[in-house]
Amino acid sequence: MFKGAFSIWGRDMLVLKRSIISELVSVVAYPLTLYLAFGFGLKGYITDVNGVPYPLFIAPGLISMTAVNAAFDESSWSMWFHRKVQRTIEEYRVTPVTVYDIVIGKIFSGFSQGAVKGTVVFLVILFLTPFRIDYANLPMYLLCIALSSMTFSCLGTICGTVIDKPENIGRVQSVIIVPLIFMAGIFFPLSSYPASILPLIQLLPTTAVFEGARDALLTGTIPTHYLVNLVLSAAFCFAVAVYTFNRKMAE
Amino acid sequence: MNHAITLHEITKSYDGFTAVDAFSLEVERGTVFGLLGPNGAGKTTLIKILTTLMRPTLGDAFVEGHSVLTAGKEVRRLIGVVPQENNLDRYLTARENLVLHARLHGMRPAAYNPRIDQLLEMTGLAARQHDFPDTYSGGMQRRLVVARALVHEPRVLFLDEPTTGLDPQSRRSLWDHIRGLRRSMTVFLTTHYMDEADALCDRIMIMDHGTCLADGTAAQLKDAFSRAHTYQVEFRRDADRYQGVLAGLSFVKGVEREGSLFQITLADEESIKPLMDHLCGSDIRRICLKEPSLEDVFISLTGEKVRE
Repeated sequence: MFKGAFSIWGRDMLVLKRSIISELVSVVAYPLTLYLAFGFGLKGYITDVNGVPYPLFIAPGLISMTAVNAAFDESSWSMWFHRKVQRTIEEYRVTPVTVYDIVIGKIFSGFSQGAVKGTVVFLVILFLTPFRIDYANLPMYLLCIALSSMTFSCLGTICGTVIDKPENIGRVQSVIIVPLIFMAGIFFPLSSYPASILPLIQLLPTTAVFEGARDALLTGTIPTHYLVNLVLSAAFCFAVAVYTFNRKMAE
Repeated sequence: MNHAITLHEITKSYDGFTAVDAFSLEVERGTVFGLLGPNGAGKTTLIKILTTLMRPTLGDAFVEGHSVLTAGKEVRRLIGVVPQENNLDRYLTARENLVLHARLHGMRPAAYNPRIDQLLEMTGLAARQHDFPDTYSGGMQRRLVVARALVHEPRVLFLDEPTTGLDPQSRRSLWDHIRGLRRSMTVFLTTHYMDEADALCDRIMIMDHGTCLADGTAAQLKDAFSRAHTYQVEFRRDADRYQGVLAGLSFVKGVEREGSLFQITLADEESIKPLMDHLCGSDIRRICLKEPSLEDVFISLTGEKVRE
């Protein structure tokens, strides 16, 4: 069972391995720049947020952002490219694998890319900056990253499945994904929001991703409502991704 | 049961357009079957249905006895597919493309490695097996797609316009590979090249607008449409005057001219005598009955030359 998914995932990891250096350089550059610009640039103006030093406040979010962005990018572009450009999805579909194998393989590829790239950014931030954590908190943080990457990988798969024009994938990223990420309080505390809209912001899956990651990394626990949000989001997006892909392939 | 492929009243419609209309067919095991038709005839739709990429609106199709509707996975286990476009993975080397295909078929390295070596030798790609497909010529990419379709030793091979866009040398080379498969598996081939069908197929079916127009061997089709009423006439002089004369004869159904050479289609075999009465014997350099080609059969059935 899922041998096909494993083969497709193996293919994607082989391709990632070949270009790992160039991939990581480009992936690390963006969050590291943000960390240096905001963490150090604003350090003189914002010393701490709720008692947490500002560089430490933004670091978990930047690592999570790298992971979820990588998961979304890999899933959406890879699915689109294999479906519309290389047409390798069609090659997969004339073998005994099922559409479930294909979509699960692709989701796990996105998830893996997110995990690898998030880990590398974490290590780079750890190596280059005074950012330090309690390693006992790491398992909870990794759980949060895993659930978040799964959600974004599924969202990417849905986009790569239903969107035919590549520019529209870019539009989804800039109009939906980026605002969702930045609204979720990577760079500022949620208490900055007016009380009237705060409950809505707290319901966003991205808020669960970034607030949950920060709490996990700094305190070793994920607040229950964020954990429930992460699990339900991942499960819901997975079901929708599988359903959407299945429908698209039946057209 | 000696049929590798059976189509039973297959209909495929989308948005009011019927691509395939109540199409039935049985293909004998171990033969090379050619489906000929202009673009838009419904050939690719039929292949997509037979390879489980598309579900028919009505009817059912069977590959080696397995229904495409209810046993798709079994069908896919038994088939190899060469699609119209080279859908190779450009981020994998030639060998890795074949390995991935083998894995998707659940093969183990001990089974697929020797088979891949053999196929790479057979297709002349062994020396370039670690190169990426983007560095290959069109003919080499096509041979790699054929090799990929054969990795798991399918019982039925589908080739959708396998030589479209290839140079003559690459076409001949691919024909040799396809000829080598005859008898070891059933080959279902679509093409709009008449010479390809003539050279490769044991049986040919001509289709257009989703229905079958003719079915038989190349020789049978040519015989059936050989009505001995198309002549080639070459004039020594006065070709322009004779063009006018021919245009005024009611039993002349068609005239094609290339310089002084005319191809004249008559209404029936008896019209040859009145035709000769209207032509001056001393002006004729040569007259001969034109043997029908498969292309003539195709044109007389579909009413037009190959649609591009």
